[in-house]
Amino acid sequence: MDRQVSLALMQDDELLPKWVDTVKRWGVLFLSTVAGPVVGIMAFLLMWSVAAQNIQTSLGQFPGPSDVWTQVKNLQAEHIAERQKADAFYQRQEERNQARLQVDPDYKPKIRAYTGKETFLDQIFTSLKTVMSGFIVAALIAIPLGIAIGLSRGLYQSVNPIIQVFKPVSPLAWLPIVTMVVSAVYVTPEPLVSKSYLVSMFTVTLCCLWPMVVNTAVGVASIDEDLVNVSKVLRLPALKHVQKIVLPASIPMIFTGMRLSLGVAWMVLIAAEMLAQNPGLGKFVWDEFQNGSSDSLGRIMAAILTIGLIGFLLDRGMLQLQRWLSWDKSSAER
Amino acid sequence: MKYGRVVKWLGVLILLLSMPWRLGWSGEQLGFPEKEELTFGFIKLTDMAPIAIAYEKGYFEDEGLYVTVEAQANWKVLLDGVIDGRLDGAHMLAGQPLAATIGFGTEAHIITPFSMDLNGNGITVSNEIWKQMKANIPKRKDGKPVHPIKADALKPVVEKYKSEGKPFNMGMVFPVSTHNYELRYWLAAGGLHPGFYAPKKGDISGQIDADVLLSVTPPPQMPATLEAGTIYGYCVGEPWNQQAVFKGIGVPVITDYEIWKDNPEKVFGITAEFAEKYPNTTIRIVRALIRAAIWLDENNNANRPEAVKILSQSNYVGADYEVIANSMTGTFEYEKGDKRAVPDFNVFFRYHATYPFYSDAVWYLTQMRRWGQIPEHKTDDWYHQVANKVYRPDIYSKAAQSLIDEGLASKKDFPDFATEDGFKPPQSEFIDGIVFDGTKPNAYIEKFPIGLKAKQSL
Amino acid sequence: MNTLLQISDMGMVFPTPKGAFVALEHVNLTIQQGEFVSLIGHSGCGKSTVLNVVAGLYQATSGGVILNGKEVQQPGPDRAVVFQNHSLLPWLTAYENVELAVKQVFSKTGEHSKTKTEMKEWIEHNLKLVHMDHAMHKRPNEISGGMKQRVGIARALSMQPDILLMDEPFGALDALTRAHMQDSLMEIQQELNNTVIMITHDVDEAVLLSDRIVMMTNGPAATIGSILDVPLARPRDRLALSRDAEYNHLRSDVLKFLYEKQRKVENLNAPVNKCDQGENANHAA
Repeated sequence: MDRQVSLALMQDDELLPKWVDTVKRWGVLFLSTVAGPVVGIMAFLLMWSVAAQNIQTSLGQFPGPSDVWTQVKNLQAEHIAERQKADAFYQRQEERNQARLQVDPDYKPKIRAYTGKETFLDQIFTSLKTVMSGFIVAALIAIPLGIAIGLSRGLYQSVNPIIQVFKPVSPLAWLPIVTMVVSAVYVTPEPLVSKSYLVSMFTVTLCCLWPMVVNTAVGVASIDEDLVNVSKVLRLPALKHVQKIVLPASIPMIFTGMRLSLGVAWMVLIAAEMLAQNPGLGKFVWDEFQNGSSDSLGRIMAAILTIGLIGFLLDRGMLQLQRWLSWDKSSAER
Repeated sequence: MKYGRVVKWLGVLILLLSMPWRLGWSGEQLGFPEKEELTFGFIKLTDMAPIAIAYEKGYFEDEGLYVTVEAQANWKVLLDGVIDGRLDGAHMLAGQPLAATIGFGTEAHIITPFSMDLNGNGITVSNEIWKQMKANIPKRKDGKPVHPIKADALKPVVEKYKSEGKPFNMGMVFPVSTHNYELRYWLAAGGLHPGFYAPKKGDISGQIDADVLLSVTPPPQMPATLEAGTIYGYCVGEPWNQQAVFKGIGVPVITDYEIWKDNPEKVFGITAEFAEKYPNTTIRIVRALIRAAIWLDENNNANRPEAVKILSQSNYVGADYEVIANSMTGTFEYEKGDKRAVPDFNVFFRYHATYPFYSDAVWYLTQMRRWGQIPEHKTDDWYHQVANKVYRPDIYSKAAQSLIDEGLASKKDFPDFATEDGFKPPQSEFIDGIVFDGTKPNAYIEKFPIGLKAKQSL
Repeated sequence: MNTLLQISDMGMVFPTPKGAFVALEHVNLTIQQGEFVSLIGHSGCGKSTVLNVVAGLYQATSGGVILNGKEVQQPGPDRAVVFQNHSLLPWLTAYENVELAVKQVFSKTGEHSKTKTEMKEWIEHNLKLVHMDHAMHKRPNEISGGMKQRVGIARALSMQPDILLMDEPFGALDALTRAHMQDSLMEIQQELNNTVIMITHDVDEAVLLSDRIVMMTNGPAATIGSILDVPLARPRDRLALSRDAEYNHLRSDVLKFLYEKQRKVENLNAPVNKCDQGENANHAA
């Protein structure tokens, strides 16, 4: 009976034109990938605006979605205004240099960077630059170190206790020490980068280091014994062994470590910028909090959403990179 | 053709003639700045205005200076920044260059060639404390409290807390801040002991024998700390008193204008090394700041609304326009709705506000001695030597004179540099009526009923 | 025929937490050039150890292995190994897997060096030999288990080894695929006249492929119990042989050895378990 019914259905399906099937399939796809998130976001916005109306702070009513949107537009307008000011600044400087050359021919004119305030967009860029450079420095240290630890049992045993102790330390606890050490060590008359940038960067590096070392080491140590034997039978030299066997084999684990640490690093960076008043999104949030203007909460919410969005994009970016670089596609699925 | 050439030469001539105007007296006496790219620090307070105005009005650029202005987290970070060279100069508490030079806290030779303003602070208490204080304050006919309010009104409240075993905490912004000394002055004048420091014994909390326990909170965090109940009141610069009124979390009870009329407030601090290494830059900085101060006060504060608008930008003070305007435009709001005229709440230029008087330095040193931050007896000479080392009217005079010569400032607004000795005549307009004569610091210290006597040490 | 490989008085002792475990004792075996030898015995006992010592992956605790007159000290491409689970590098295509071996063996200067084109031809030739030329550029996860094992064999063959060591090469394959692979292996062996040592516990496979079957006793202290000559004519056809009396006789001889003389004792203290422990301990180290 059942069989007949299903057979009948199948026949029915076959009778329908092909485009109906296509439409159906797209419909399902739409519902599962677009409609779901849209419904979720709408519900969130609704809840947010209702909740916002019911929260009174000493800085006025809690900002709802529309207030935040207004602030986003304000921040953008400020950025554009600041860019115009910067252009005027450069023009004035040009004129001033020319005028000075007239009376002081020995003068070597130089163009100095704009001295105005950092806009929200500048701060985003600063934070991104900091997190990426700190992350790359960490990767350059952690991956070779992790490989060495993974390959040598002796090294693993001697380094492991140190890693285990330092791994759970919040990088924020390091911040004062990093600050002092950078101040003491980085002394140049014409600094290429600012101290605050280095402090934030090294804090990010410290934060990324441990998850990457641990994951790389585990990835290397857990390589299939047979693959190692293949390398032995082929008598691959040590460097080639690492390059041809160890590195590709541990790439999925290395990426897991990298994604993990990038996510943590982004969170820590924002906190470090708040704490140390180093340029970036964290400083933006803290400055707005201290300003205590009636726009402050809206601007902070705008920053929070931006931070979240960037964190999400960083993770997606790493995933994409992993898909692109790793042979093991299944490890890069979510 | 020939005609064209003449025009060209004429053009060059005109350009050359206009040069001193545009570059500022470049040729003969004042040279080009040795260092052109500078970073100045400030704390989010309205009295940083001269720096913001000098930047926004292009006065720094007129001097060939390219200045970056950076808000700092707190006074310690700011001072360390100037000392370690991260900052070239900063908006400082008057006590900071003095304390650094004599080695209370971080030791470094900091000088001040420019005094930034007079007055501008207030003391705010929480609503809860205000309710209890109010009963002790006489009322005017219209039912509003009579000002100035003395700490006598606070005394019974503190005593009640003390008898209940609850410590009475108040906030100030830095151990050597004007606010610390003003709050202490006000409390002591009302018979409340604010506590001694004893740095020789390692006690720098300043709470020995205290009726009221004072602790440090960065200015912008004052309202939030008060709201959280950690402190019952604070002494801070603007806009953080008016912010409490706007937020409805506290009531300012007195401004520093009423504690000491036209008291010196912030100074512009740089290292002695900087001034020595970059003399032209130093003079040019002072020139720009003097012009900004003139602009802030000229035409009877006519530019203040514009200044407020600039200060309310998020990179400067960042508070709402209304909050900053409240005190910057000649009024001050005490209890909500009790807005009174205080035309001299913020003075940036008039009354020779920007001239670094030695006597101002001596007053701060006497207060450091009074509360034990200077642990031992010092001779009158010592006070004057320190003042000489830190306050630099010589630099100020050069800058001001060059502005006068260029017609950018008028002679009558400045002291007569030829005869000025840097000591104001004895001042009597203190809340407790005690007269201050900067030439006799030890005699002044002796006059206070609460505080270390001239030869006393802990 | 020349003697290619000589195992003399090989013994293997593994240290375990419970004390030394003797896995092998007095193993003696001589293999001729071009000979196909199977090692058979109950699972886990010594066979793999023998193979690994020959490969150079383990060092025997006593006795030793001599290949072409030289003692074996370490692994090398002259003793190519085909591992039970193919051991292809999953991030390389079939071609690249073979290429890795070919480049390593033939790029050095010397009599065996090959030019780039020669290498390419050689790689393709070996893949063709195992009938994998149609899927040369596929990665291991895109091809079936049998195909992977073919690539594994191609990789081993491409090294032009003196001896091919196969550790249960078809153990993980289904019966049909396994038959195909066995036929292929016979073809290749016919063509190249390789010397092969193969571990198996499939009696049919052993009889079908081998010139000699080395039957191992159960451990501990496993050793060679008996060696059976398989004088069946080549080429061999599995269908014809299934009705061949001699084939069936040989088959029953092996079965008798395994299930009468060396019956496996299934209890917790079985030597097999101990033997496994010994090997595991060695792996972990």
